[in-house]
Amino acid sequence: MTAPLLEVTDLRTHFFTRAGIARAVDGVSFSLAPGEILGLVGESGSGKSVTGFSLIGLVDPPGRIAGGSIRFDGQELVGLSEARMRAIRGKRIAMVFQDPQATLNPVLTIGTQMALALQAHRQAHGRVTDRAAAERAGAMLTRVGIPEAATRLNNYPHEFSGGMRQRVAIAMALLNGPELIVADEPTTALDVSIQAQILAEMKSIARDSGTALIWISHDLATVSSLADRVLVMYAGRIVESGPVGAVLRAPLHPYTRGLLDSLPAMAQPGQRLAQIPGSAPSLLALPAGCPFAPRCAHADAACTTPPPRIDRPGRQALCHHPLDAAA
Amino acid sequence: MLGYVIQRLLQAALVMLAMSALVFVGVHAIGNPIDVLISPDATQDIREAAIRRLGLDLPLWQQYLAFLGRLLRGDFGTSFVFGMPVLQLILSRLPATLELALAAVLIGTLAGVPLGVYAGYRPDGVLSRVIMAVSVLGFSVPTFWVGLILILTFAVNLDWLPAGDRGPLVEVFGIGWSFLSLEGLSFLALPALNLSLFKLAMMIRLSRAGTREIMLTDTVKFARAAGLSDATILRRHVLRLISIPIVTVFGLELGSTLAFAVVTETIFNWPGVGKLIIDSITSLDRPVMVAYLVLVAFLFVSINLVVDLSYALLDPRLRRGGAAA
Repeated sequence: MTAPLLEVTDLRTHFFTRAGIARAVDGVSFSLAPGEILGLVGESGSGKSVTGFSLIGLVDPPGRIAGGSIRFDGQELVGLSEARMRAIRGKRIAMVFQDPQATLNPVLTIGTQMALALQAHRQAHGRVTDRAAAERAGAMLTRVGIPEAATRLNNYPHEFSGGMRQRVAIAMALLNGPELIVADEPTTALDVSIQAQILAEMKSIARDSGTALIWISHDLATVSSLADRVLVMYAGRIVESGPVGAVLRAPLHPYTRGLLDSLPAMAQPGQRLAQIPGSAPSLLALPAGCPFAPRCAHADAACTTPPPRIDRPGRQALCHHPLDAAA
Repeated sequence: MLGYVIQRLLQAALVMLAMSALVFVGVHAIGNPIDVLISPDATQDIREAAIRRLGLDLPLWQQYLAFLGRLLRGDFGTSFVFGMPVLQLILSRLPATLELALAAVLIGTLAGVPLGVYAGYRPDGVLSRVIMAVSVLGFSVPTFWVGLILILTFAVNLDWLPAGDRGPLVEVFGIGWSFLSLEGLSFLALPALNLSLFKLAMMIRLSRAGTREIMLTDTVKFARAAGLSDATILRRHVLRLISIPIVTVFGLELGSTLAFAVVTETIFNWPGVGKLIIDSITSLDRPVMVAYLVLVAFLFVSINLVVDLSYALLDPRLRRGGAAA
């Protein structure tokens, strides 16, 4: 196996609020090989987005990385100066957000916004002339499937459809040839048909350019069609990880099982959709022991103590009662 | 777009008509100009002749219709006091007010917006607190007091700048301006500074609020994720996004300063329209008051039109189809 591109060890990102410390990310560890596609799945508030923002050092206050290590290509990112972090952001690690309507600046042409993203890294490229910037931006737009890219550069975000806007955002992320793209629910705001197109294109672009991809989503179905490996997050922890196929076929953690059962595609026609009872716990008042225990059908007295780490070949889970043992 | 402009101009005409009627009735109610204009010991004949000459013997509605009739021919009437056409009188005073108001609003904006953006960017910084304290002062300390303090400090004690008047004028297109010579500028400095303080405070608050709001949006986060520096984000993204309220207030402030710079003009003895209107009110010079206030209405309506048109320039989303709305 090659050296990992990204190695996250015991990452803890906490929000220091007046009501107490919210441990949004609490001891997350994973690694990512160059060119690998990793799915990061969880409900709202599970800490998956905060994990993504921690990677590029953009956690909003009162949150901050309270501990752990993020090694990117051998370099430690936790505690890196803002100037050096900025040189990595957008250049080596790029990010795509959920809602392109909100992320693109409505009053600047996309050509201008792409030129700004290129010029932000002129230390790396040397000075970028306007013409060179436009050429590179146009090439990227073509690559993400936007026709007539050269004229589209003069358009404003509102002149694009939702799917096209997200393609623009993806083109911006690709602009500086990053080694890693963190995509935070990039298809959630889009129509299902557009979602599928963008998923397919994202996959082929990542494969062609050898870009590693962390795909953050609440939707196991999109992740299953895209990722090599999947991490399932719950209450700031990774409760299960492993190759996508194996995890989906035979989940170890009852929470993963619950997520799978609530997918419409898994249900029999005419049958009620299964759902996980209760809701995600408040990060300010996590139960002692396994945070999923109050919602778990398999929970017993043992679950009031911290769950042990279960190791299976290529897979891990945090659970007292892994589902393969019960069978 | 043309249809939109025509529609707005028609609106302007209506506003001016309503304004003229209101002012006409209002001014009529204040008092009888004859009592002020003719000395009390004049004979009844002279009095009668003056009343007839000024058209004050007719019923109010006839006077108003006559006024409107003259207005259509571009004649605003003749000043009771100065005996010269009102329009000429106002236009002769307008450049003084124009340069004063523009200087004040420009100082307020050019200084206020960067300060406000900084205060919004670092809301908890020491410098930001100082900036906000200045803006509170700018809002709450009365203009006349600041004006007197400025004169006392810079004109009387330090003797750096003149205390009043317009100083030497440089003629361009037959109109005299103070701001075109260094000495003229020294005369303009104190009154402009005095007037700008309130606008500065307003611009600081406005840009601070806008910046704070926009710094929290995903647009800024996305720009940061692309590796843009905060300076670039403020200059290229935030400034453009907060420009619409700033341009709106710029227009409103310019209009109200042009119309009502009375206090500052009085303190600094600045021969602008503000002083003219105060003088005409004391002497019940009805044509001047009516014409002035109608022109003010026109001024506001046209500034608002320019502001509205500039929105389309600043926000591309308003360009298409927005004209009909």
